Amino acid sequence: MPALLAPLFLAGFAAVAWPLLAHLAERERRDPVAFPSLMFLERTPTPITARRTLRDPWLFALRAAAIAALAFAFARPVLAPRASVLGADLRRRDLVVLLDRSFSMRANDRFARARSEVGKLIAAMSVGDRMTLVVFDRRARAVTPTTGDAAALRAALDSVALTDESTRLAPAVGMAQQLLAASDAPRKALVVVSDFQRSAWDLGPDVRLAAGTEVLPVDVSGSAVVTNHGVRAVELRRDRTSGVERAIVSARLANAGEAQRHVMATLEVGGRVVERKAVDLPRDAGATVTFTAITVPPDPVAARVALDADALAGDDAFHFVLERAPVIPVLLVGGRDAPFLPRALAVGDDPEFDVVARNAEGATAADLARARVVILADGALPAAGAQRLTQFVEQGGGLLVLLGERATPRSWPAGARALSPGALGAAIDRGGQGGAVLGMIDRQHPALSVFAGPHAGDLAAPRFYKYRPIDTTAGILARFDDGSVALTEHAVGAGRVLTFASTFDGLWNDLPRHAVFLPLVHQLVRHAAAYRPAPRARSIGESLRPADLAGAGRDASARWSVVAPSRARLSAGGPGGSATLELGEAGMYELRPGGAPEAKPVLVAANIAAPELDFTTFEPARLAHALLAAGEAAAPAAATSAPASIVEREAHQSTWWFLLVAVALLLCAETLVAWRAAAYVARME
Amino acid sequence: MTAPSFIDPAALARIGDLELVARWVVEGFLSGLHRSPRLGFSTDFAEHRPYVPGDDIRHVDWRLYARTERLHLKTYEADTNTDFTILLDVSASMGYAHGTISKLAYAKFLAATLAFFSQRQRDRVGIVTFGDDLVEVVPPSARHLPHVLHVLERATAKGASALARPIAQVAATRRRRGVFVLVSDLYEPAAAVASALAPLTGAGHDVIVMQVLDRAERSFPFDDATTFRDLESDVRMPVTPSRVRAGYVAAMGAHLAAMRARLGSHRADYTLIDTSEPLDRVLFEYLLRREFLRTAT
Repeated sequence: MPALLAPLFLAGFAAVAWPLLAHLAERERRDPVAFPSLMFLERTPTPITARRTLRDPWLFALRAAAIAALAFAFARPVLAPRASVLGADLRRRDLVVLLDRSFSMRANDRFARARSEVGKLIAAMSVGDRMTLVVFDRRARAVTPTTGDAAALRAALDSVALTDESTRLAPAVGMAQQLLAASDAPRKALVVVSDFQRSAWDLGPDVRLAAGTEVLPVDVSGSAVVTNHGVRAVELRRDRTSGVERAIVSARLANAGEAQRHVMATLEVGGRVVERKAVDLPRDAGATVTFTAITVPPDPVAARVALDADALAGDDAFHFVLERAPVIPVLLVGGRDAPFLPRALAVGDDPEFDVVARNAEGATAADLARARVVILADGALPAAGAQRLTQFVEQGGGLLVLLGERATPRSWPAGARALSPGALGAAIDRGGQGGAVLGMIDRQHPALSVFAGPHAGDLAAPRFYKYRPIDTTAGILARFDDGSVALTEHAVGAGRVLTFASTFDGLWNDLPRHAVFLPLVHQLVRHAAAYRPAPRARSIGESLRPADLAGAGRDASARWSVVAPSRARLSAGGPGGSATLELGEAGMYELRPGGAPEAKPVLVAANIAAPELDFTTFEPARLAHALLAAGEAAAPAAATSAPASIVEREAHQSTWWFLLVAVALLLCAETLVAWRAAAYVARME
Repeated sequence: MTAPSFIDPAALARIGDLELVARWVVEGFLSGLHRSPRLGFSTDFAEHRPYVPGDDIRHVDWRLYARTERLHLKTYEADTNTDFTILLDVSASMGYAHGTISKLAYAKFLAATLAFFSQRQRDRVGIVTFGDDLVEVVPPSARHLPHVLHVLERATAKGASALARPIAQVAATRRRRGVFVLVSDLYEPAAAVASALAPLTGAGHDVIVMQVLDRAERSFPFDDATTFRDLESDVRMPVTPSRVRAGYVAAMGAHLAAMRARLGSHRADYTLIDTSEPLDRVLFEYLLRREFLRTAT
């Protein structure tokens, strides 16, 4: 018995009464018929109730069938799943079931439905059937071998737990490909039980299953809308006006569903509630809550912003590490008469620039040792320090050279030849021509990428009256409008040297008077220092090397003891261990050097990946079409819809369309029969 | 003999002019048969030949001898100038038409054709139109064909029909034996019709009965339940055709069978004519039945 999408239209069957009455009733003409004589006629009044026989039964049958088919078509019948994934079509075949256990499956009753669907599959297995249960989120794992043991499969199914991971289809489908390829069963099927999040789609265009494999997506997303609120991100604005570093925490909130009033947002630092604020969340929109500035402790501390819990609690809190702003120690050599550069560096707050200014002869080895970046403001390099500076760069330090009046070709000692990008020429004076501008700018380079976006500042606006040509063809980041090199980069050992062909003192150019000066200086120094901002929070699924974490030291081979948010103990690094740590839980990870349980931990905050919180889905049939060759996509496509929702099945079957065609054919036949009947009557008359 | 091509009555109805119709039917009919124009109900033809010894002197034309003093024999002298009278029923029931041509219109064509045909046979033609009484009477005459056609033109279907009275009146006025052709739908019991014709048949007249019916009167092809109105009595009756059709057809069949049997036994020649049949074919079949064709060849 087919299901019906719009059963109320079955009331249309009552319309069959119309042709029934018409065919039962004797048609009665209003005008009397003149006839030569009534001597052979007998009075037969038109019966009102005793209508026993049908006139033109074939005509009636066609008309009734057309009306019934029309009513049935409007009722949108959905045929039962073609032996369904629960039925006989799965007999004697190997079945790979991909069960989604990602975070999004926590929404509503998706996971319960998914388990139920898989349970039905197990119950429907016949003798000879075998199944492999594979759970997947960002990764895929077979929780059972390929087996026909229903009890083992049920036990494995019961043990499957949800994770906080995001969803990726490619690993799961890849594992299914391997399992099905290894199967020698005459029939093979892949069942994907998932909510089919759009963000999960990462299949390449060439992913195909073997010919004859059935693909049966089982959509458990349901028709209910996911209502959920959560904290999506946290931003810090630093404040050092009082001499103490303070941070203003702002959290970006999201709400899917009806508007909510007076939802409490809590800022917790180090496990202690610092502030609670009530916020109103508009319907299907976002909001921002900003907390009062707090003093940033000297050591990193775990913090989080949490909302009142809802049904989907995993994203109700956003974890982050609250720590002081990073500092880049800078040694400024020369250029003390030009205030622009120190002032520009003093503005930075994330990271901060700790600038120590020295003249060319005053820079000491200690100054060099604390610095991560050295800026030669006028390109003059003392011969005594050339060797130390070269070693500094070779060991990973950064050097920014600004070629000024004293940066003559002879001002570079022989010991510092490696620091020079190339031969330096005599200064070119373009003042008489109104100055030069930057013609070519490599905005894709990390040192200049901040200017890549629209409205990011016009580097071509500043005028350069004098500059010193650099004879090089490698590492050119910018050129003047006459083709002369304006900015170069070249590596020396583990460090890098940036050379700018003019100055930042406002004499050789008007660059300091332009808005692009500040970001240009900051970006050049950051790039020279190889600075990478440490994220305050990471997403689940990210992998990190503990050795790369700030404050973790640089011993890549060290072993790390990790305490996960669930308090599970893990390890990373060390001999035989994985060098990376994969974040799989929402919360705060604590990393300590192996064998030092009392050491201060390095904190890593992990949160639900943003794509996983996007609950929009894709059409499950798309999966079948993607995995099957074009020629055989049609047949499995029909089957795939069977276990899906009734609406999807109806959409795939389009039974109503065939019924409408049948109605059209019936009406054509009715016309033909009626015409022939009328012709017969005409002949009789 | 080539097969004649018959003329659709509907085509005749479109012509309208009775004389033209009659001429067309008769001339075409004769042309198709290649017959001598000397055909007809009256086969008498007089011929004189000189007397030769041995001839029966009873056949000598003494009048001619008186004028010419020569003996001639009247070798054959039949009933020339036979009275040919058409009895046309013009009651309201004759106005019925289920198709394109009414029974009366068909009967007019038939009567005109027969009159024209008889005129060519040198008969005297006359006509009597009647309902339940005489309507118009044109006594037979060799010169009355135009009058006959005029009466036919004017004839309209109205009133009731009853054969007995008008036929009795006609029979009372005719002393000379002749041919009477009754054209009617005969909505009377066969016994009553036979009884009505008794004065004619009893007087030795040659009586030909042509019952003209529309095909619908025999098949009753109606479908919708409705009220039927009698054209003559205006009586109305609710009828469900599907329920009475079988009975009606059977009753009509019995009526026609009784009519044929009764009239046959009363020395009347009976012919049933369907208004959908070609007029010349009716004429052709009728003459065949009358065996006039044999004498005409």
